[in-house]
Amino acid sequence: MVVTTSRTVAAWRRGGFAIGVATAALSVLVMPGTGADAAGRAVANASGAVASAADYPAIGALPAGVMPKAAMVAMGRRLFFDTRISGDAGLSCATCHDPQQGFTRQADKNDKPMSLSDAYPGTKHFRNTPTLINVRYKADFADAGWGWDGHMGANLNDVIRDQITETIIMNMDMRLMHERMKQDPQYVRMCEENFNGECSSGRGREALVAFLETLVSRDAPFDTGRVTAAAARGRTLFEGKAGCIRCHNGPYFSDGQPHNTGVPENLAVFMEPLRHIGFRAVLSNHGVPQADIWRRDVGYFLVSKNYRDVGKFITPSLRELKYTAPYMHNGVIATLDAVVEFYDGGGGHDDPLARELSPLGLAADEKKDLVSFLESLSSLEPVTVEPVEIPEKYEKIENWVKVHN
Amino acid sequence: MKVELYGAQSMRLFVLLRCALLLVVVAGRVPAAGDPDVDPPLASLPPVPVPPDNPITQEKAELGKLLFFDTRLTGDASLSCGDCHDPKKGWGSNQPISRGYPGAIHWRNSHTAVNSGYLGKLFWQGSSKSLETQAPTANRGAVAGNGERDVMQSRLRQTPHYIRKFKEIFGTERPVLGDAWQAIATFERAMLSQRDTPLDRYLEGDEDALSEEAVAGLKLFQGKANCIECHNGPLLSDEKYYNLGVPRPPEWESTGLNTITFRWENYAKGLPEKGYREWKDDAGLFYTTKRPDDIGKHRTQPLRYLAFTPPYMHAGQFFSLEEVIDFYNDGGGNNEFTDGSHGINTKTPILKPLDLTDEEKEALVIFLDEISGDEIKMPVPEVPLYEAMPDVPGLTQAKAKRIGLEMYLSNREGGGQ
Repeated sequence: MVVTTSRTVAAWRRGGFAIGVATAALSVLVMPGTGADAAGRAVANASGAVASAADYPAIGALPAGVMPKAAMVAMGRRLFFDTRISGDAGLSCATCHDPQQGFTRQADKNDKPMSLSDAYPGTKHFRNTPTLINVRYKADFADAGWGWDGHMGANLNDVIRDQITETIIMNMDMRLMHERMKQDPQYVRMCEENFNGECSSGRGREALVAFLETLVSRDAPFDTGRVTAAAARGRTLFEGKAGCIRCHNGPYFSDGQPHNTGVPENLAVFMEPLRHIGFRAVLSNHGVPQADIWRRDVGYFLVSKNYRDVGKFITPSLRELKYTAPYMHNGVIATLDAVVEFYDGGGGHDDPLARELSPLGLAADEKKDLVSFLESLSSLEPVTVEPVEIPEKYEKIENWVKVHN
Repeated sequence: MKVELYGAQSMRLFVLLRCALLLVVVAGRVPAAGDPDVDPPLASLPPVPVPPDNPITQEKAELGKLLFFDTRLTGDASLSCGDCHDPKKGWGSNQPISRGYPGAIHWRNSHTAVNSGYLGKLFWQGSSKSLETQAPTANRGAVAGNGERDVMQSRLRQTPHYIRKFKEIFGTERPVLGDAWQAIATFERAMLSQRDTPLDRYLEGDEDALSEEAVAGLKLFQGKANCIECHNGPLLSDEKYYNLGVPRPPEWESTGLNTITFRWENYAKGLPEKGYREWKDDAGLFYTTKRPDDIGKHRTQPLRYLAFTPPYMHAGQFFSLEEVIDFYNDGGGNNEFTDGSHGINTKTPILKPLDLTDEEKEALVIFLDEISGDEIKMPVPEVPLYEAMPDVPGLTQAKAKRIGLEMYLSNREGGGQ
């Protein structure tokens, strides 16, 4: 067993991008959570309730990434809106990651607010849809895997495969995906253009990665430096008295680690049979013992199978919060004001609760300043893209009997 | 040990064959000219064989019936076994190619479920060895049921009626998916076996059970038309595999959705790349055996219940029995696995032009029609509903403490959240 403290990890991260990637790979060997807990505790104990920003990876602008080729992005964008890459052609990536709703799903088609995501027909999800904006940075700043519980792959391509094949998400057979792509003249042309060859599901995923890489924050006041006085005061609180930086650190505003903040259960999961079915299925699929008697979200336990990790969720990024309500893994907190209240009270109730949490004693003005700061992490205009029209029917292939499949 | 067992089995089979041969010779049946084997005579259906590990009980059959019609056992819970094996459509489908999963389409004709309990192997290429394995294969395939085990089992466990029934029947605390397939197989054996047809009565000595024309058809069936060569025994099928030269269904080329499934099947069934690129027809048994001699062969269909199960052949190429008989009268047909397109010709030598007169063709149709017996009608049952299950029966303090559900328990005991 290789054990590394989070401080070392943080130092590596500050070293830059390449090292960040190496860290992500190495961190697989780190006992989940333990190093981070130990380091975080030491800092908190030494300085009472006040965090010291210097002890954490500095917050700052996201590094500019290389933008993928336009033709590749166009192919990925088409796949993103294409329901035919789900098993029953009933939903696309955009169904739950709606570009009109911050690449999350906040309201159903009747404008009724949603705290929990939809899922593959015949099931419903038991978590809140996370945004896809800035997802390209996740691997650089987060050690754990994707998803609220970190159960998904080590890179975006794998995560896309996980989501397309996941039975309560898109329930798709990858071989069927490439055969569907091969029946669509546009994909045939796009594969030819981008890959100089025929379509495959792997090439489809590469194109989806390229599309997702274009979804990044633009002109967030925090990044451009044009922040209000309130936001500037909020930053001081964020890095100091409020201690948010203990977990929400680095340019991505996430330590990528699992923590239990005691967010109350969203009881809809156990009151709505279709959600409970989705919950049971994911638990049993991932080998959680006693999958039938759990009545709380197991969180990172799904990955670690360590009972101390029950109720821990990976720290989400705080960028684009303005456009991605409701909050928390199960969407139980509707507004940023309420989120700040939640942490001001020291989080929720659980045992063991994250050691980073304790009542903050923030004044009303301070809470407002903190919210202003959080809002400054969002782009001035919502990040979005125009949808792509997908034909309802597949075209036939001319002279099919004579041409090669 | 294994070798010995195999030897003993072969020996038993050999003895059995000898006995059968003796019987046939004694009965005075002489194989037709060019006949490669001796055909078991037509016979009335015996009781349905029951596997020792899945005995039939009334309760299990009733549960199986419910599950057969329950959409919970597919991916998006929108179709059940009964959608492609529809009681009103001969417990099959009246589409040439079965509807398959939403967003997709199947690539073969849906078999009738009637008398499926008698078959040694199931599916057109014989890829399942029992009803107990056929059901999950159909319910999981991406263009059929597209169901996934954990989701399907979770749905059963969210349904109090099933929790009760599975516990009564299988003794498990919660439904186990494998038992659902056992129950469905039991339903098919117990309720979809049809033994009391005019053919069975006729073969048991009731000479009035078939009309005169049908008896004439039977004579042709066993004689000039030589149907008996493959459609023999109690099931009217030798359960062997042949390439008859049935033509490629036009849908694979004419409709994009069908083309996709055609390619997917070839890809998923592990066709070598050359085959995947160049073959445009269903390679049948070859997908199972990978023996070149088996390319394009499909299982001989039992002819019972036939009048209720058009269209016919593996992709529903023929809509009526008349068309089928015309096809055989011409000595079968041609497809790309008979015409040498790929250097392959697996067409069975059994088929020869028959030179049947119109009256003879009609007599055959009447025979096949009459032996189909009565339609098995069954009202589709109402399936039980899901219920919310916020409570955890039997959760102890100790267990709750271990898995972090203590707070849940104190809330529940305290009378609410």
